[in-house]
Amino acid sequence: MALAQEIQVWDREELLTGCQAVAQAVRLADVDVISAYPIRPYTEVMDSLSKIIADGQLDAEYIIADSEHSQFEIAKHASAVGARSFAGSSGTGWMYGFEALVVAATDRLPVLFLVGNRALDDPGAFGVEHNDALAIRDMGWLIMWATTAQEALEHVLIGYRIAEDKRVRMPMALAMDGAFLTHSQHMVKLPTGDAVRRYLPPYDLGERRLHPDNPISIAPQVNEDWVMELRRQNWEAARRAKQVIAEAYQEFNGIFGPRYAAPYFTEYLTDDADTVLVGMGTVAMPARTAARRLRDQGHKVGYVNLRWFRPFPSEELRACLERFKAVGVIDRDFAHGSPDSGGVLLHEIRSCLYPLRERPAVRNFITGLGGRDISIGDCSRMFEIAMRARDGDTADELVTWIGVRE
Amino acid sequence: MIKRVEINYRGIFQKTLAKRIGGDIVIIASRMGKVGFSNGRYSDSPERNGIPCKYFAFVSPDLEEEELEAECGAKLDIDEADVSVVVDDTMVKGVEPWGWHGVRPINEKVVEKGCLLVVSRKRHDELTRFTARTPYSYRLATIDGDASLAGLWVFKDDLTHERVLGAIAAVDPAIIAIDAVEAYLLAKTKQEHRARAAREAYDAVLRQTSVVTPEQGIAWPHETPELPPWHAFEEGAVVRAPARHFEMGPGGQSRNASFKRGTTKTLRPVIRFDLCISCTLCWLDCPDECFDPVEGRLYDVSYAYCVGCGKCADVCPIPECIVMVDELQFDSDASPWEHYRSDPDGYTRWAEEKKGTARYAYPHVTGTGFEIRERESVAPKDLG
Repeated sequence: MALAQEIQVWDREELLTGCQAVAQAVRLADVDVISAYPIRPYTEVMDSLSKIIADGQLDAEYIIADSEHSQFEIAKHASAVGARSFAGSSGTGWMYGFEALVVAATDRLPVLFLVGNRALDDPGAFGVEHNDALAIRDMGWLIMWATTAQEALEHVLIGYRIAEDKRVRMPMALAMDGAFLTHSQHMVKLPTGDAVRRYLPPYDLGERRLHPDNPISIAPQVNEDWVMELRRQNWEAARRAKQVIAEAYQEFNGIFGPRYAAPYFTEYLTDDADTVLVGMGTVAMPARTAARRLRDQGHKVGYVNLRWFRPFPSEELRACLERFKAVGVIDRDFAHGSPDSGGVLLHEIRSCLYPLRERPAVRNFITGLGGRDISIGDCSRMFEIAMRARDGDTADELVTWIGVRE
Repeated sequence: MIKRVEINYRGIFQKTLAKRIGGDIVIIASRMGKVGFSNGRYSDSPERNGIPCKYFAFVSPDLEEEELEAECGAKLDIDEADVSVVVDDTMVKGVEPWGWHGVRPINEKVVEKGCLLVVSRKRHDELTRFTARTPYSYRLATIDGDASLAGLWVFKDDLTHERVLGAIAAVDPAIIAIDAVEAYLLAKTKQEHRARAAREAYDAVLRQTSVVTPEQGIAWPHETPELPPWHAFEEGAVVRAPARHFEMGPGGQSRNASFKRGTTKTLRPVIRFDLCISCTLCWLDCPDECFDPVEGRLYDVSYAYCVGCGKCADVCPIPECIVMVDELQFDSDASPWEHYRSDPDGYTRWAEEKKGTARYAYPHVTGTGFEIRERESVAPKDLG
């Protein structure tokens, strides 16, 4: 692309954990206000950012709150006065700030929060489980899962660009699997400041900025005569986000090279596949490896790595999955008491497939809960169950727990 | 058949009173073999001092409870009332319970031949000069008495509650019958004077009921705001402040056009500009910023926004300079300072006439549980 030739877009490669990669992205995005409160696995992001600021690499307000509730409120209010704001948390900490999360969405404040996915206590557990980030799924947030540290870094930039777009102005949650991504060190390419400035325009809340020169109040108390209209506005913003997301990836590819074939999900070995697994986050690595090995044995299997959960890419995903005979949905969460006693993603995808005249067979796998590892063998087992469904075998139940001690 | 009763009351001061009236209508009706239920209008904020609020009671002789609930309970406000009770007569000037609601007539819901039942010592023509004109006739009944004002968690036992029940039986026996009211009060309290208070109000209201014709009342001066569709207002729950300006004079300050709150007051401050020493205290201490600096180092007051809290009269160091006066004595919210400027002597005479010679002690005790009291009045000189 022409733009890529004008300026240098890539700076250097560094060995970074997922958390450090996000911190570097926050530096590159020239964030104005960072509010922090420690909880593992998110903590390393705030640690890294405090060092980046202390080293003089970023000029930002760094505020340590007394709790996640205050932490999120600080970032939310900073966003309202026109500061690009960042915060993050994990597990129960994320839930403790829930009120501020809900309000940030209704008030349409485009903060970017990191969710280092962590199981919800009790028992106290550090390991990854997706229920913390999924808890805000109905609240009017943009939610996506990163698979690698590189992708996480790039999606801080992409995320701010989408969230802050005048047509959207919704808060953005960037989810990362605890430990497997947050704490794993990989070589990460850092873009140059010039390239980032070209990609990410300055934050401008425009006529909605809270400022003495622009006297407004936000978040009023209202009666039943306004709430429905506010919800309807939120939905419209989420609808408009689809177009903005498409533009954001197109522009990103234009500046940084062809990095993303499609915004919402990445297909792997699906061209002639009859059976695929769908999942979010780091399960992509063992799942893709298992697919490769099964391909070597002649099985037509592939993997769909779902990146965006909100807005849910129903049309795009339906058009993709329609091509297969069987779909295995991997959930790193469990939806207690849900219609099929399966995972959250299962219900979303089954609902998404419902309008099809001929629907692929669906199987669901509950796996990797509380940080339990998901091996290549586990993924092969999931493929085998999905392939039996492809063949019309009804011996397996809709939902199988993979990796639980029996 | 459904009978709908609404009880218009003032936030905090009359919440318990309204709730008891609504609840007792249901209990009495059920003892008469009818079905009923009662609720408060959920959109109200009855914890705000003096704000106009509503309680409802619904009664039916023939419907199943679920059907009555579906007809009445699923709605947040009612479309029509057979009886609209008003437990503070200053609400006849209109009610504005929240923003974007507008100031609505107190008789807005009263159906043809229905009844507006007001606790008031005023003559009926003193009330209908504030009510909205209707295309049909309805009845106006009054219960002799002052507004019974108490607190959110306390109830002033001054027999207003019993008297309103007796009055409802008088204006619409299809809701509750007077015999049932008396029997209920006796059974519940074993106190004959309570049943007697209900009966006396019943008899009195039968005498004090008049018909309001379409010729009576006023063309309603307030518009009802139209709520915008979802795409026609700002996103992000933003409320834009009115344009700022700080010119001297009436209306000099920026105020919220969609929620004025003036219908919250039962009394308004009458100002003797000629006595003012420009101490600024009224302007400074008014919790609702209703005072506007004007020429001559005086302070005008915006009655549309005044909630009648009395703070200005309290802090004013000059005797007789600011006095709180019954809101029903006034037809207009126009600037008193402009009146004073155009005709200083005429204004002062007018103000003194409105103030009268008696000064009332507030809060006044309207009853003891055994008798209904007149307001205690004191001569201006004794107020210190």
